[in-house]
Amino acid sequence: MDILASTFFDWGVNLQLLVSGLALGAIYAVVALGFVLVEKSTAVLNLAVGEFLMLGSYFGVAFFMERKTNIFIGTLVITLVMALFGLAIHYGIMRPMVGQGFFAIVLATIGIATVIRAVVQMWFGPLEKGNLTALPTGTIEVAGTSIRWVDIIILLVVLGSVGAFLVFYARTRTGLHMRAVASNIEAAAGVGIDPDRAYAITWAMAIGIAGLGGVMLGHFTPSVNPALAAIGLRAFPAAAIGGFTSVGGSIIGGLIVGVIEQLAGGHFGTKWREPVAFGILILVLIFKPTGLFGQKDLERV
Amino acid sequence: MTSVTETATPASRQILAKRTPTWMRALPFLVAIASPVILDKISWNPFGGWKLLVGFLVLVGIGWFAWSNAEHDPDDPRLSLKLWHRADQRALAAVTCFVLMAIPFILSTDWEPPMDFPWNSWFRIVNYIILFALGAGAFNLLVGYTGQLSMAHAAFLMIGTMVGAQVGLIWEQSFWLCLPVAALAGAVLGVFFGIPALRLRGLYLMLATIGVHFIILLVWKEYIVHQFGFSGMRFTTPNLPSWLHWIPGINPEDGEFLINSQFRWFWVNLGITTVGLLFIVNVVRSREGRAFAAVRDRDISATLLGINVPRSKLVSFALSSALVSVSGCMLSYYNRARSEDSFHLELVLDYGIIIVVGGFMGIQGAIFGSIFFFALPMYFEWMREELPIISDIDFFSRYAGEIDLAIRGILVVVVLVWRPDGLAGLWQAMKKRALLRMQAPRRGVVQ
Repeated sequence: MDILASTFFDWGVNLQLLVSGLALGAIYAVVALGFVLVEKSTAVLNLAVGEFLMLGSYFGVAFFMERKTNIFIGTLVITLVMALFGLAIHYGIMRPMVGQGFFAIVLATIGIATVIRAVVQMWFGPLEKGNLTALPTGTIEVAGTSIRWVDIIILLVVLGSVGAFLVFYARTRTGLHMRAVASNIEAAAGVGIDPDRAYAITWAMAIGIAGLGGVMLGHFTPSVNPALAAIGLRAFPAAAIGGFTSVGGSIIGGLIVGVIEQLAGGHFGTKWREPVAFGILILVLIFKPTGLFGQKDLERV
Repeated sequence: MTSVTETATPASRQILAKRTPTWMRALPFLVAIASPVILDKISWNPFGGWKLLVGFLVLVGIGWFAWSNAEHDPDDPRLSLKLWHRADQRALAAVTCFVLMAIPFILSTDWEPPMDFPWNSWFRIVNYIILFALGAGAFNLLVGYTGQLSMAHAAFLMIGTMVGAQVGLIWEQSFWLCLPVAALAGAVLGVFFGIPALRLRGLYLMLATIGVHFIILLVWKEYIVHQFGFSGMRFTTPNLPSWLHWIPGINPEDGEFLINSQFRWFWVNLGITTVGLLFIVNVVRSREGRAFAAVRDRDISATLLGINVPRSKLVSFALSSALVSVSGCMLSYYNRARSEDSFHLELVLDYGIIIVVGGFMGIQGAIFGSIFFFALPMYFEWMREELPIISDIDFFSRYAGEIDLAIRGILVVVVLVWRPDGLAGLWQAMKKRALLRMQAPRRGVVQ
């Protein structure tokens, strides 16, 4: 670990790292939202979120790089297609597995992840693609440092869509049903809410948001390749620091972790990114096991 | 009205009275082990090879053990805690032993199977299956029996490898010293990294142990770069200690006996894995193991039952990580080379697939899962290359690795959806049906 003293207090560098950290954090927030939404309402930890993001990036390659689709139409289509995938996963795999142990269902999602990785490599070939360029690619000068437009746009798009989702979740009738099922499935079924439908909508939305995040991720990274799926694991600290039961907390957690990772990686070297993020995660979990914003469940014996 | 139960002697008492002494039950094993030595000493070997003789005697001994002195009392509840207490279980154990001992001799023949079935590479696969079964069994002790969802499995494989490299390569000690040191280091560090389990459970514990994985991964990368440079570790060939050279069939060359072939590795791996898995089975049957199960099912209720829950969790972490470290050390020595990127987090998920597809509970699951994990890709590869129609399709040979991945993923999902208790559950169900069919009356016979 060699601290580069010249860059450590260089505010220009720090501002650059901060903005790219916020953009990375926005993507983490999307992944964490995918985790939290599914985990909160269906008690399934979907480890395939990273693979769905990668799939979204590859769809971005297919639409924007090979067919030059309009960015708005393409993103909409990708999100809808991914939502259909979410429905298929719910009806095909998760509903027959209701009642099985936590770890078994987690491994079923890993099976899904494996299939996605294999199919993507078969379909798009083993070579990595360049990054997507459908968003504006230039830089902007702020306070003496250049900041990529892509970072700013990603931050805005993600915050906007997640905010729209939160409004949907809090204000609409379907969102109310989703929250009710997440809170207590039997009581929700007792008052006439269809848990199956709520689960299906949850899966569709979680995977659809992951598709949107995938398009953004394809613009953020230098190249689109199958290793992008590792972002699913790297977003764990974001979800857990925010609290696994809090949708809003996961977004704040994502931004915090993204900034910390970029600062640690920028000053100490990239190999410190995961250890720092996960070290903070362990500390948070030891002192506050439900995360910063999580709610504490009452334990019934 | 007189009660029958008061007058009758409890069936369990009678069994205790009739039980065969331990030394008598051990007799066939002792004879089987000692006889080749004696025969070797008087240089009389009518079977034309010690291998046949040892195999024959062990088979006779185990068969005798299997069919004699089985304790017949299905009502004794304590019997369910015993290993191999029914005759069919003993017979199956005997057959398993025989098959296991026959495998290396069959695989080391020159026979060439039809259609280029990959005969020689199966030896490597069998060795990997055995080594992974040990690691998966230890993982299952922690995840399956105690319910502590730990993802620090690869971390302990790394710790075992680091201990093996430090003791065996840098301090230049024997391979056989590495194993107990790795077990000790694994147990101590397992207790240390198990401390988060005292406060966390389920998903949160899983996240904390992923953190442990990344921290140890950092240590591993630093260690390997500082001690071995960027080329990675190169492990030496283990040497059987000289005080074991009296065993018949071991012919030292220049005073040393190197474990340098698949055949020799097979016996080392099989011995250590058998000891490890039997250890796990016995732990599970003990009071400690029942406490593990209580902690898994409901830890608060376990506290009310008088179980020291933190102690149980830490003991489980210690035992599991000690065995995992040993398996990591063995895997590295067997593998010969390790580099910075040898242990991914995906490796933990692979072990998870092994134990869940094999069957979450029980040692059988670890074994079936390892076979599933290693033998199936091998089989698919052979089908892809040799079967007449499939080998002509260009697509299959071009995307070989991806197709294997996809098939594995699909099979994992199918097994989990179709049979939640895994391949071991399937096997148990098949066995039960076969036994029922054997006992059932013939159709058409009037009773």
